[in-house]
Amino acid sequence: MIRLFRTLAIATAVASFFTSNHAAAQLLPPLKKAARVKIIKAPELEIAVDHLTIIRWTTTNPGGSDVHYGIVHYGTDPKDLSQTAKSPLRLNHGHRYTVFRVRIDDLKPQTTYYYRVGSEESNGESDRVTSTVYKFTTPAPGERFVARP
Amino acid sequence: MNRRILVPLLRTSLVVVLALMVANQEVLAAAGGAQPRDSGVDPLGVGIDYDPYPPGILPNDLVPEIQRVRREINFIFQQALGEWRALPPIVHTGQPPTIQGVGYRAIQTLGKLMNFDENMSPFRNRACSFCHMPYAGFGPPIPSVNLTMIAYPGSMAFRAGKRNPQRYTYAPWFPVLERNPTQNLFFGGNFWDSRATGFLVANPDAEQSQHPPVDTQEHALPDTACIAFRLSQAQYRPLYEAVFGPNTLNLNFPADTEQICDTPGGAAVFGNDTEPVRLSPADRTRATTVFTRWAESLDAYERSSQVSPFTSKFDAFLKSTYTLTKEEMAGYLLFNGKGNCNSCHVDGRGTTLHPGQFDNSTTASVKPLFTCFGSANEGLPLNPRNAFYYQTTPDFFGFTPNSIGFGYRDLGMGTFLRSGYGSAPSPNADWTQFAPTTDGQFQVSTARNVAMVPPQCGSTEAPGPYFQKEFFHNGYIKSLKQLVHFYNTRDLFFFPVLSGHCPPGTTEKVNCWPMPEVRNNIDCTTGNLGLTDREEDLIVIFLETLTDGFITPFPNINTYTGTCMTGGSASTQGNEFLIPTPTLPPCAPVVCNVPPLPDPPIVECFDCGPACPIPPPNPRTE
Repeated sequence: MIRLFRTLAIATAVASFFTSNHAAAQLLPPLKKAARVKIIKAPELEIAVDHLTIIRWTTTNPGGSDVHYGIVHYGTDPKDLSQTAKSPLRLNHGHRYTVFRVRIDDLKPQTTYYYRVGSEESNGESDRVTSTVYKFTTPAPGERFVARP
Repeated sequence: MNRRILVPLLRTSLVVVLALMVANQEVLAAAGGAQPRDSGVDPLGVGIDYDPYPPGILPNDLVPEIQRVRREINFIFQQALGEWRALPPIVHTGQPPTIQGVGYRAIQTLGKLMNFDENMSPFRNRACSFCHMPYAGFGPPIPSVNLTMIAYPGSMAFRAGKRNPQRYTYAPWFPVLERNPTQNLFFGGNFWDSRATGFLVANPDAEQSQHPPVDTQEHALPDTACIAFRLSQAQYRPLYEAVFGPNTLNLNFPADTEQICDTPGGAAVFGNDTEPVRLSPADRTRATTVFTRWAESLDAYERSSQVSPFTSKFDAFLKSTYTLTKEEMAGYLLFNGKGNCNSCHVDGRGTTLHPGQFDNSTTASVKPLFTCFGSANEGLPLNPRNAFYYQTTPDFFGFTPNSIGFGYRDLGMGTFLRSGYGSAPSPNADWTQFAPTTDGQFQVSTARNVAMVPPQCGSTEAPGPYFQKEFFHNGYIKSLKQLVHFYNTRDLFFFPVLSGHCPPGTTEKVNCWPMPEVRNNIDCTTGNLGLTDREEDLIVIFLETLTDGFITPFPNINTYTGTCMTGGSASTQGNEFLIPTPTLPPCAPVVCNVPPLPDPPIVECFDCGPACPIPPPNPRTE
């Protein structure tokens, strides 16, 4: 079986050298958008250091546009998550899961923030996945928080 | 004599001498007797260059290194002349007429001659290849420049640009810049900021070749018609006319054309005139056609197997004529897996491989180019060694390359979409609205040939022997180890400082990454990958399999005549050349106050000294 796969792979690769056209032919189509996206690893504080906070979480690969935005709605009042941070990432066509990471700049030190996460395609279309509300506390000035990998 | 008196006196004397020399040249030119000047570094030949730089910004060996590269260029130019002479007769047959049999070779040879022709600059001292030599993957060829000023000195030495010259290899495969409305993303173009869109010549690589010849800090010809003029004088003119037709270079150039084309662009004498060569409307059209032919010829060369041959170990692996070593395969799996490199540097294969697994996906039906043709802001720190920041005073011709000094911020594609400072006019006003979503973004280069070096040097990595390269748009990264480590730990080792100011007890690029130059749109695909030191090394080993020349020798790879470097560590390679970033002035309005405004506003700096207070929180809001 492995030999069969190997032969197929070689045949495909070699054929590509004769059939492929340059330029436009190289642009791969985006992944098919997933019917349903699930958060499989809950949001958490990844890094917190002066002026930079990163929230991360993992979902099933949402598909759709090559670039997605992770979105964090946050605030110091759990009932008022009116501030928003977004960070782009590029989907890996071969990965089953996607790790979203969002940078939040210039938070106040030693302050508890509440947040909820979601994501969207680069055209603004939602991935239709939203977390519940979580919280984190920023460290004191000069201190550094780094979560386990 | 008092120094305060002596210096102005000497300066005044030099200006008088220079003025006399230029006047003499004008007389010569007017008489049709312009002489090629060959000092290379000192175009005016009187011991003065444009040197606004503080001590230490220009490398000590700059002059001999420029001369070394010029010798190498002339060697390859002579070789190309031989290739031209070895061509069979060029005959157009059929309808429409085609150069039967030898057409490809003819235009590729013509493009090669143009690429290595130093006459395509005011002082006949800069060819395109000066920044793009074969042994560096058609990237920048001077190790000491790569370590220091990062941008390359143009025909008017030492005017310099602002970025690391991108490699040619596989540039012709980038599509015309387009915005995909479904995805709301840009794809294609050439240059770091994608400003060579290719919209008119339907090819961004061809358009790319039209920019440096008239870039004030590169070749610096003052008029695109100077290309037609210099080609009309070229040794290989018969080849041009054989390919594009007889009499295509027969233009009636005015008597002062030589004098004009000998004067670098941006000279005060030209004002804002971009067509100082006064041609008839018909000849202006012919000159423009020649400029297009120039682009097509250079693209043909760059597309050819002399530049982009698909002959790497990885290509042999795809053909099953080479088996990746255990380490190379491990690096490949990390490249596609934990490293997530192939989310942007697409390998054209649809399956993330596991040991023992073979790719049977249909997406391998493309030649893998290891780019997604997109753009991203990877969050590189500002590199204070960049020569651009220091060119704040006028040169002999009254041209000031960068009047805003350290007030410049490189917003990449965002500035281009605004037709902004230091970029080029955007040919599509519909795109201007998207500038804020592309601020700080630079093109995702192909990973192919990122590791190409002269064979005698063997590696990009210390302790070597190695050839010093520079990576990313501003050359901040100096080895592939650092490159992978940056992707791996950019956020993990973030410090709110500027380059050269990492806290005591940390080492810049090892466990301290200074803050990004542009915080907007930072790509979060990477930044904390959790790769081990060994895993980083394995990815570097895999990257080395993408170097052409394994299946068949890479043409002109053996033309490097400089020296290789040894010693040190790849992790800290080049750190001895780090300098403290000065306290930064606010971003100049001509960059950051051009609508649509960056969102959030570009922050000058934080925590970089008492003169630069921490800005108030400014969260992005919807």
